[in-house]
Amino acid sequence: MSEEVTPTTPPPADPSQDGPAPGCHAETPADPERRGFLGSLSSLAMAGGLAAGYGTFGCFAARYLYPAHAAATGWMFVCEVGRIAPGEALAYKLPDGAKVVIARQGSSGAAEDFVALSSVCPHLGCQVHWEGQNSRFFCPCHNGTFDPSGNPTGGPPKEPLPRYPLKVEDGLLFIEVPLEGLA
Amino acid sequence: MSMLIGWLKERIPVSGDRLREMTNEPVPNHLRRWWFCLGGTPAYLFVVQVVTGILLAFYYQPSSRTAYESVRYITEEAAFGWYLRGVHKWAATLMIAAVILHQMRVYFTGAYRKPREINWMVGMCLLVCTLMTGFTGYSLVFEQLSYWGATVGANITENVPVFGTLMKRMLLGGDTYNANTLSRFFILHAAVLPVTIVLLLGVHITLIRLQGVTELEFEDQEPGEQKHFNFFPDHFLTELMIGLVLMILLSVLATALPAEMGPKADPMSTPEVIKPEWFFYVTFRWLKLFSETTAILSMGFIAFLMFIWPLVDGAIRKRWKGSEASVWVGLFAVIAIVGLTVWEAFVAH
Repeated sequence: MSEEVTPTTPPPADPSQDGPAPGCHAETPADPERRGFLGSLSSLAMAGGLAAGYGTFGCFAARYLYPAHAAATGWMFVCEVGRIAPGEALAYKLPDGAKVVIARQGSSGAAEDFVALSSVCPHLGCQVHWEGQNSRFFCPCHNGTFDPSGNPTGGPPKEPLPRYPLKVEDGLLFIEVPLEGLA
Repeated sequence: MSMLIGWLKERIPVSGDRLREMTNEPVPNHLRRWWFCLGGTPAYLFVVQVVTGILLAFYYQPSSRTAYESVRYITEEAAFGWYLRGVHKWAATLMIAAVILHQMRVYFTGAYRKPREINWMVGMCLLVCTLMTGFTGYSLVFEQLSYWGATVGANITENVPVFGTLMKRMLLGGDTYNANTLSRFFILHAAVLPVTIVLLLGVHITLIRLQGVTELEFEDQEPGEQKHFNFFPDHFLTELMIGLVLMILLSVLATALPAEMGPKADPMSTPEVIKPEWFFYVTFRWLKLFSETTAILSMGFIAFLMFIWPLVDGAIRKRWKGSEASVWVGLFAVIAIVGLTVWEAFVAH
C-alpha cells in the first residue's frame, strides 16, 4: 500500500506583515529605475564587447587583405653619361621585360638632360606604342595620343606619359625601375 | 515508405499542408507569357554557373604563371573540358542578357513601384554583382584581352572619389597588376560574389513571396477568366521547360561557337584592337567620349539614379498624377545603351 504524497508549499507570506516571509532571504523591494539602468548598462556592455570583438577581427582581416608594401623599386645602372650624345637615344630593357627609350635632350651632363618615358598610359594603364608615320605615341584602349616628348595631344588622357626617375652619380646614369615582373 | 515518412515527420515538424501553402503561391495568369518568366531564367543559369564553375575549378590554377596553361588544358585536353568551359561562358552571356531583359520588363511594366521599391534596389545590387562576376571571370583566362580588360577595369576604380586608390589596391593586391592579382579575382569570382548573389537572391525571392507577384491585366483577357494558377506543378513545369530549352541552347552554343584560346597575356604590349566583353561596350565607349573623371562620375551618377529610380519615379508621379515619364526615360536609356553598344561593336577604335 503506497502512501499518497501531497506536495507541500510554504504558506504564502502575509502582505500585511513587513518582515521577510519565513524561509526566504531578506529582500528589498526592487528599484525599477535602477534595474532598468543596470539592464541598459549590461546591454550596452554586451553590444560594446561584440562590436569590439568583431571589429578587431574585421580590422585584422582588412589589414591582411590590404597589400603590404608598394611595389619594390631599385636603381639600375644604365651607362656612362657620355655614351649618349645630346639628341640621341638608347634602348634599355628593364628587369620586368619592359623596353624603355632613354633620350638625351641637353648637354649639361646632369640627370635633367635625360628623359626616360614610361609606355604606361596615364589614362587607364594600357601600353602605348610608337606610331612612326604619325610621329606620336598611341594608346589602343581609348585612343589617347602623345607627342614624342610624352605630352598628351588627343583622346581622354590629360596627363603626360609618366617618366622613370633618373640620376647621375660620378658620371654614371642610373634609372629607378620596378624590380618585380608579373611572372 | 509510410514508415520512413512517419520517421521523417517526427523529426522535421512541418506539416504537408503548411509546406504546400508556403510553396504553392498563386501565380498571376500573365506569367503564362514566357517573357514574364525572365526572372527565373538568370536564377536557373546561376545554378548552371555554380555547377560548371565548380567543375572548372578542379583544374583551374589562379596564378599568372599557370592560369593560361590550365585553361588551355581544360579546353584542349581534359575530357569534355571544352564543353564545360563553353557552357560556363555562354551561360554567363545569357545570364547577363536575361538579367538585363528581366530588369527591362520590370521597369516598363512599372513593377518596381510601391511597395516593391526595395526589391528593385536588391535587384540592382544583383545586377552589379552579376556584372562584377562576369568581369572577374573573364579576367581569369589570362588572355591578352582579359588581362588588359582587368587592368583597365581596376584603373577605373581608382577614379572613384575618396576610396578610389584603396579600392584599386584592394582589388589588385598592389599598385599594378601583380603576382597576387589573379588569386584575388578568383576568390571574388568563385566565392565572395556567388555567396553575395545567393544571399541577395534569398532576399529578392522572399520579398516577392511576401508582396506577391505584381498583378497585370491585358486587353485580350476574358472578363470571367481565372486570374491565378498554381505555382506547383503548373509554373514549376513551365520553369522546367525553360530550363530544358536553355540546356539545349547552351549545348548548341558551346558546340557551335566554342570558347577558344586567345593569345596569352603580355603585360608589355596592349593589342592594337582591344575590347572588353560585350556587356561593357557601353562603358568602354563612354570612356572614349569623355575625360576620365567626367566619364566615371557620370557613370556613377547614372548607376545611382537607376538604384533610386523607384523613389524618383514615386516623387514624379506624386507631383504629376499618372505621369508616364518613366517610359520615356526608359526608352531613352535603352536607345542610348543599344546605340553605344552597337557603335563600340562596329568600330576598331
